[in-house]
Amino acid sequence: MRMVGFSTGALAYGEFEKALQLLSGTTANAVELSALRQNELDPLVHALSGLALGQFGHVSVHLPSSIVPEFENTLLEAVPHLPNEWLLVTHPDVIRTWERWESLGERLCIENMDKRKPIGQTASDLRQIFARLPRASFCLDIGHAHQVDPTMGEAVLIIEEFRGRLRQLHVSEVNSQSKHDPISLESASAFSLVSHLIPHDVPAILESRLPSFSVAAVEAEIESARRILDGVGALELAGD
Amino acid sequence: MGQSAERPLFALQQKLGCSWGYLQKADSEASQARRDLQAILEERVGKFASEDANLVVFGSLARKEWIESESDLDWTLLIDGQANSRHLRIAREIRSALEKEIREVGGESKPRFAEPGPTGTFGNLGFSHQLLHLIGGQDDTNKNLTQRMLLLLESVPIGPRSAYDRVARAVIDRYLEEEAQLLEAESDNRFKVPRFLLKDIVRFWRTMAVDFASKQRDRGGKEWGLRNAKLRMSRKLIFSSGMLICFACNLDDNLQKKISTESHDINLKYLANYIREYVNLTPLDILADSAEKLGLGSEAAATLLSAYDEFIGMMSDKDARSQLKTMSARESRTNPIFGEVRRISKNFEAGLHSFFFKNQRLKPLTEKYGVF
Repeated sequence: MRMVGFSTGALAYGEFEKALQLLSGTTANAVELSALRQNELDPLVHALSGLALGQFGHVSVHLPSSIVPEFENTLLEAVPHLPNEWLLVTHPDVIRTWERWESLGERLCIENMDKRKPIGQTASDLRQIFARLPRASFCLDIGHAHQVDPTMGEAVLIIEEFRGRLRQLHVSEVNSQSKHDPISLESASAFSLVSHLIPHDVPAILESRLPSFSVAAVEAEIESARRILDGVGALELAGD
Repeated sequence: MGQSAERPLFALQQKLGCSWGYLQKADSEASQARRDLQAILEERVGKFASEDANLVVFGSLARKEWIESESDLDWTLLIDGQANSRHLRIAREIRSALEKEIREVGGESKPRFAEPGPTGTFGNLGFSHQLLHLIGGQDDTNKNLTQRMLLLLESVPIGPRSAYDRVARAVIDRYLEEEAQLLEAESDNRFKVPRFLLKDIVRFWRTMAVDFASKQRDRGGKEWGLRNAKLRMSRKLIFSSGMLICFACNLDDNLQKKISTESHDINLKYLANYIREYVNLTPLDILADSAEKLGLGSEAAATLLSAYDEFIGMMSDKDARSQLKTMSARESRTNPIFGEVRRISKNFEAGLHSFFFKNQRLKPLTEKYGVF
């Protein structure tokens, strides 16, 4: 069974402990600890030893996605305090001193971007980024890829070219305002087109902001993602 | 010159030992005009495009056949996003900015980018939903067909391109989704020619030819000579390049290697990506690339591309162009300039004929899909 879980930031904005508590009542076996804003990184580092992570076979950290230039050094200095086996999911546009990031090797997990970002949206963009970070791994945000090209043609190009680096997925519906919504039938249908191209051992992290953060709602979204990624057709998901 | 060297057209020129100086000049002037256009709009309008509203240009600027001080600028502000009444204001600001950009040419004040023609097809807003959903049927107007086909066959964005890319991909997907089968029934290991797309390309060519007569009637024969020359050459060029894209889907052996035996959907994506890559080229580059990739014969390629180079030379000649603009159909029979148009277009046609009717790989497809 594919490892599927949630981003703590999607479940409880800035409150990773609360998010982990919610996930403890679900079948989630993967988690991404979210420090999307730069002021979230330090509290996360200090809380690490007390976090209940036993149920998760895969843990990653989403490093801040929008930083002031001076924060890059602080960010990189915090990295050694994070366990070596955790992926460090990173938006390429935060990188300024490329050689320092390259030294993180495979732990550095570059994510493809949504349409608001100036770089990192297409296979061609990512090729340029990985040329500068040859050892970095890749997190495919399938919702971003769908927003950039709803036909999923670009997603096919991205997966074909970077499958060897693929270590994690982000899954959600990214709407026209770049908000992460629950997976709709249209998104499910689009994601199903490429699910068989994604290796089964790649864990999936949901980023959907659910209308209700009950255990049942979270579990339902996890189950939905599992079925889509296992290649269940969109019409079957809709009960047709 | 570096940019030119990367184009399949100029790679073929070098290989064939030809000299297409007018095409090189037009390429260089098009590159400069694209840069100038973006700079003018950034200066006068500011952030004229966004992730959901892109400025798309068509015609000679998109084909890289721009003739400085002569070519018109056909453009649309393509919207693929939330409805917003400000889009119209931006389109008007773009138009106003272009109208104000005047310069002296040979003692005459001329707009740097001349206004598009009077049909209303360009110089305005274009909407993705119409282009995507209204293919065929009662609501697929002449304007919609023209915008959709030109989006695929001769367009390029100025500035941001995310909306442009999304819409082009979506339109290609739409054509392919309507195909009952993507693979040949007898072998299952080769893509069929995408008929729906091809038939619409053919329809567009026929429409342009019919509209030639209609526009002459509406405009009282004005610009007959120039319009006729363009129909014989640049309009026929985009039709031919469109057919080649469709035929290449069946003939390109590298594409066939990608076919999945498991998934119809993924085959559709492979085919759509292939077509998308092709339509990113200019029509002349498609001809040149196909000549190489599909082995269509260097002699035919040299004939038709040399003819096209001569055509661009003639369009760059102020006196010839001026005569063509005022020439009636009756005058064309004895006019030596139009005699040249006839000679050049016959050479161009001879090259196309060699491609489509003499080449043993293309001939059966032309007969099967292009005629009936």
